[in-house]
Amino acid sequence: MGDEVGRPPLERIAWCVVDLASRLLHPEEREAVRGDLAETGARSGQALREVLGLVVRRQAALWMDWRPWLALVGVVVPLGMLLSHVSRLWADGNALDASLYVRLWDWAYLGNPGWRRDLVSIIAATLTNYLALIGWSWTSGFVLGSLSRRTRWVTATLFCLVVLLGTVGSTTTARAYNAMVFSGPFHGVVLLRLVRTVCVLLPALWGMHWSATRSRLPLLQAIVGAVAIVILTAWAARGLEGSLVFGRVGRPVTMPESGPDGFIGTADDPRPLWPLSLVMLWPAAYIVGTSSWHRCRGSSNRRAGLA
Amino acid sequence: MTLGEFEYLMLTSVARLGEDAYGVAIRQEIEDATGHPCSLGALYTTLDRLEAKGFVKTRMGDPTPQRGGRPKRMVRITAKGARAASDFYNAVMRVSRGVTWATK
Repeated sequence: MGDEVGRPPLERIAWCVVDLASRLLHPEEREAVRGDLAETGARSGQALREVLGLVVRRQAALWMDWRPWLALVGVVVPLGMLLSHVSRLWADGNALDASLYVRLWDWAYLGNPGWRRDLVSIIAATLTNYLALIGWSWTSGFVLGSLSRRTRWVTATLFCLVVLLGTVGSTTTARAYNAMVFSGPFHGVVLLRLVRTVCVLLPALWGMHWSATRSRLPLLQAIVGAVAIVILTAWAARGLEGSLVFGRVGRPVTMPESGPDGFIGTADDPRPLWPLSLVMLWPAAYIVGTSSWHRCRGSSNRRAGLA
Repeated sequence: MTLGEFEYLMLTSVARLGEDAYGVAIRQEIEDATGHPCSLGALYTTLDRLEAKGFVKTRMGDPTPQRGGRPKRMVRITAKGARAASDFYNAVMRVSRGVTWATK
């Protein structure tokens, strides 16, 4: 399986796929299977069928457990969708702000205290929102990894797909009313992809890798992290809810309605949906819960050992 | 604990091969006996099931050059596995007594 010199390109690609697929197997089994294929002189097509057949059987067996399903139902679908909508809402809002500031920029404005205050508050809100996004994504990835350790390649792929495709067929008010701004590639496509990659996918994969290599966080770190995420969530809650109001599939343009304050045009006021932001906190709660449980179990084991 | 048909085929092949029982050899035995192809997926998942039932024990062998320096997964039948295979064989013999199969 290893000698690739002189193989036609298609054959080489097939062997690469065989190599990749066999990584989903347990290391000892992978070695045995690769050895079997080498010994029988299997061709690339046959090797691919054999390895994929075994991988599918193994993965199917792993899905007989309840944990991958909990990861799917508790993280991949709800949090993947939320993160997809939230990341787009904030990326679109930032695209709009950025285009306005770039278009109207004048150094003389810096002398105006009100203008400076606005700029600082926008930058602070943006950073806080993105920090919250990173925190939610990291904890989601961590929980995904610890719940579906051996199925994490499947659940991670599904999570990435949900994040990337979760907003297909819907839009935001920023997009709906500012077609000119979003017609450009940076504001329309690149910024959103950048935000999703840097603030959602990479932190989620990092969290997943962390849980795979270290299995759990020390209790103190878990508590500090959870408190930070609660504070960031409280700060960012309005934006989070707004994404759900305006990102609904089948309702691409939300008409302005009067909000609870009676003002027309505050359809962006999503206060009735604030409890949804709590969904973002469950991974952090799970991490604190499992860290506490492991710590308690460690203490009782030590006591039993001493006795 | 009962055996399935394919599990019986595998146990019998392992017993026949003795010290030389490993993936490729077991597969060859089964294919020769049944005339049907046996996939590595079926082979290794069944092997795991048999090991979980305590019917076989497996260990990784030494790497060999004809396998690209990769080891074999060696298989050995246990006493419990031999009993289960024997029970399965006796059941098949009992139920088959007095029956003739008309084949063209």
